[in-house]
Amino acid sequence: MGVDIDIDNVVKKYGNTTVLKGLSLKVNPGEFFTLLGPSGCGKTTLLRMIIGFNTIESGTIKINGNIINDIPTNKRNMGMVFQNYAVFPHMTVAENVAFGLKYRKVPKDKIPLMVDDILRTVKIDHLKDRKPSELSGGQQQRVALARALVINPDVLLMDEPLSNLDAKLRVEMRNAIKNIQQRLGITTVYVTHDQEEALAVSDRIAVMHDGVIQQIGKPKQIYQRPSNIFVATFIGLSNILEGSVSSGSGGTGKVLRFRDFDYRVALCNLRDGVKDGQPVKVSVRPEEFIINTKGEGIKATVKRVVFLGLTTHYFIKLENGCDVEVIQYSNDQDLLPIGCKIGLTVKPSAVNVFEAESETTLIKGAENP
Amino acid sequence: MTKTKSKFNGWMLTAVIVFAFFAMFIIFPIVLVLYKSFVNQATGQLTLGYFVKFFSRKYYWGTLINSLKVTLCATAFSVLIGLPMAYIMKSVRIRGNSVLSVLIIISYISPPFIGAYAWIQLLGRNGTVTKLINGIFNVKFNGIYGFWGIVLVFTLQCFPLIYIYLCGALKNMDNSLNEAAESLGCVGVKRIVRVVVPLILPTLLASALLVFAHVFADFGTPMLIGEGYKTIPVMIYNEFMSEVGGDDGFAAALSIIVIGVTTILFFVQKYVSDHNMYSMTALKPISAKHEKGAKNIIAHIFVYLIVFLAILPQAVVIYTSFLKNNGGQVFTGGFSLQSYRATLLGKDNSCIFNTYIFGLAAIAVILVLGTIVPYLTVRKRNAFTSMLDTLTMFPFVIPGSVLGIAFLFAFSDRPFFLSGTAAIMIVAFTIRRLPYTIRSSTAIIGQISPSIEEAAVSLGASEKQAFTHIMVPMMAPGVLSGAIMSWITVISELSSSIILYNSSTQTLTVSIYTEVIRGNYGNASAYSTILTLTSVLSLLIFFKLSGKKEVSI
Repeated sequence: MGVDIDIDNVVKKYGNTTVLKGLSLKVNPGEFFTLLGPSGCGKTTLLRMIIGFNTIESGTIKINGNIINDIPTNKRNMGMVFQNYAVFPHMTVAENVAFGLKYRKVPKDKIPLMVDDILRTVKIDHLKDRKPSELSGGQQQRVALARALVINPDVLLMDEPLSNLDAKLRVEMRNAIKNIQQRLGITTVYVTHDQEEALAVSDRIAVMHDGVIQQIGKPKQIYQRPSNIFVATFIGLSNILEGSVSSGSGGTGKVLRFRDFDYRVALCNLRDGVKDGQPVKVSVRPEEFIINTKGEGIKATVKRVVFLGLTTHYFIKLENGCDVEVIQYSNDQDLLPIGCKIGLTVKPSAVNVFEAESETTLIKGAENP
Repeated sequence: MTKTKSKFNGWMLTAVIVFAFFAMFIIFPIVLVLYKSFVNQATGQLTLGYFVKFFSRKYYWGTLINSLKVTLCATAFSVLIGLPMAYIMKSVRIRGNSVLSVLIIISYISPPFIGAYAWIQLLGRNGTVTKLINGIFNVKFNGIYGFWGIVLVFTLQCFPLIYIYLCGALKNMDNSLNEAAESLGCVGVKRIVRVVVPLILPTLLASALLVFAHVFADFGTPMLIGEGYKTIPVMIYNEFMSEVGGDDGFAAALSIIVIGVTTILFFVQKYVSDHNMYSMTALKPISAKHEKGAKNIIAHIFVYLIVFLAILPQAVVIYTSFLKNNGGQVFTGGFSLQSYRATLLGKDNSCIFNTYIFGLAAIAVILVLGTIVPYLTVRKRNAFTSMLDTLTMFPFVIPGSVLGIAFLFAFSDRPFFLSGTAAIMIVAFTIRRLPYTIRSSTAIIGQISPSIEEAAVSLGASEKQAFTHIMVPMMAPGVLSGAIMSWITVISELSSSIILYNSSTQTLTVSIYTEVIRGNYGNASAYSTILTLTSVLSLLIFFKLSGKKEVSI
């Protein structure tokens, strides 16, 4: 079974700029853990600290409880897959894969067996004697993966491994990576800026922004219960509306009122201690809006319609001038015409409510752990 | 942290050793020249006397003017020939163009003073063509010595450099730019003037400045064909040679003036290429088209004429080497291998071995330094290695004759006693060529992603192992083919070796030069042929190794 990684309060500085100001997280044994964030958020910096290419200014990184801060990279026994593959161009596929084994005192006669074995795992055993220049991007990335896995690393680190591949291959490769990872049960830290990719492969995701972890959670949790507005808008699409909450007439629940509209919904999942009349921001996923052709709810006008087959996207202007996007499954009904007056309603359990100023969640159980 | 620190020190130690080498062979000699030019040797006091002497007499400062005149003219003509050559070769289908471009490269890699003496044989006082002209037109044409002779030789020697650079730029120009211009109504000559030339102008300027620097610093050509027309490198040589053992101050001051000019040129050139280069990569390069009619004929005549003139000196030299002579200056008619017997089998044929041995030794040093220094300056960048990087550029601005003089100043006496040794020649060759190799290796390393090395380290290789097992093999093809080009220039080196040699360390170029001075054209031609043959063979190996029919200088 895999090892666990414990990152405790690490700091990274480049000159006078502090990129990571005391970041902590734990990765469980055998877990597929993803660092997700926009470029410049510090995710690659953190990954490179784990493998040892970046120094750690303060704090510790532990593998199975042992501090590795001072262990040189080549003794850490971690496999890494790079964005640009970094396959050695002057070696064949087999030589590339065997490279790491030569530094591990593996008996000479065992090396070809191990190479063949891992090449079969990543399904490129037929390309064994090719040079990298004769391989496609996807095949090169398989070589890089095989090369990182054959040394039987404690941890597998992947730095945006799919970003140089075309869309179709990206989906194919991410499934392959996930399959292999699951089969080997190796603790994996994966860096990406592609939220769909992160949702598809990860056991857990850490969303990062400006060197700070915004939220750590399972894909479903991060998508459905974002801990703040940044996560809500970075992962998937969210329409942000303004409103306020007040005590409901029944006593227990609260009532959310959308600003500028005479539309209220009752909420029963708000955190305790939410003040009466508190201003809030509400995020609604495009697919969570319900279009009401009778005009009930938030009054709005259809501006543009995009038919995408499986779904139909409506670009809608609210009566107060805000633009929102609504996605509906295309069914056999006619598309709404442009200029059509409609109402929008929401399912109370599907919306997220954030404190207006700090933009952090007010939903029970969705706080940043 | 202790572990990583000790590795870091390994690289730092290397950097310090390299620095010591540069300090000894670049900084120390140049500082010495500077010192000698400003300090009166008899009194030991600071003086501007040497500079005053230079600028107060026309006999002296006239050489600087001469140099500038010759250089400007030769550069202008090189551009006027190189630019149309490059454009025609890239846009019009010329018969035998691949052979032609190789011939152009061959004409470039041969030392310019060979061109000078070949042209003396054709257009000199007793030249074949001179006699022909005088016979036909019944005139007393006295041969092209002096200004026009120098300009002719330099132009034919240097237009290939412009041509090679511009071909590179044109190759990177996407044809869609031409098509876009044409679709917007800009056609014909207007298109060339308004689209093509502006795009290649930075390259044109950069290469023209290279030609300028090259011509300005050259010593052999004006020495042979200049006669009374003295340029400043000739003056330096004369002053220094006549004053060895006496007052070196004036030669030093001349050197400083020349370095001043070349330094200004270097910075202008660097500014132009840093600030004005368009980075273009052509998906669909311009392709040479079949032209018809007059256009086609004119293009062919132009290209063939220029290539003929450019390669003519080589042909003349090879031809001459097989002529029968009286053992001295007079060709007696008919062919023989006599010149080869006198040179190859002569008792002082050591110059041939010297050339190869010194050249190989210099290349070995260049290979090592040309791999390690760029690695340090690119991958281990810090204040110290950056300074190292700047230091490696110094030889760009030090003309060969100045380097020769500086070396004699520095290493003739105690504690070195290096003058006249093979070592001083080898080091001089190394220093002369090193900056070019370092530039090209730096470019090679720049193209290798740092994650390649990181991958090796993550797989268990130490930093040193990643360097030797991954970086060195990956750099090898590029560095090696660069080394072949260095080898070709090293064996053609004259301006420093003419000052540093003695009878036991004579090289081919020095022998050619001394034989020409003695008027012994047969032997000179045989030596030249051996040199040219070596260069051409090396060039073919270079083509084979790099897999293309182009050179980068």
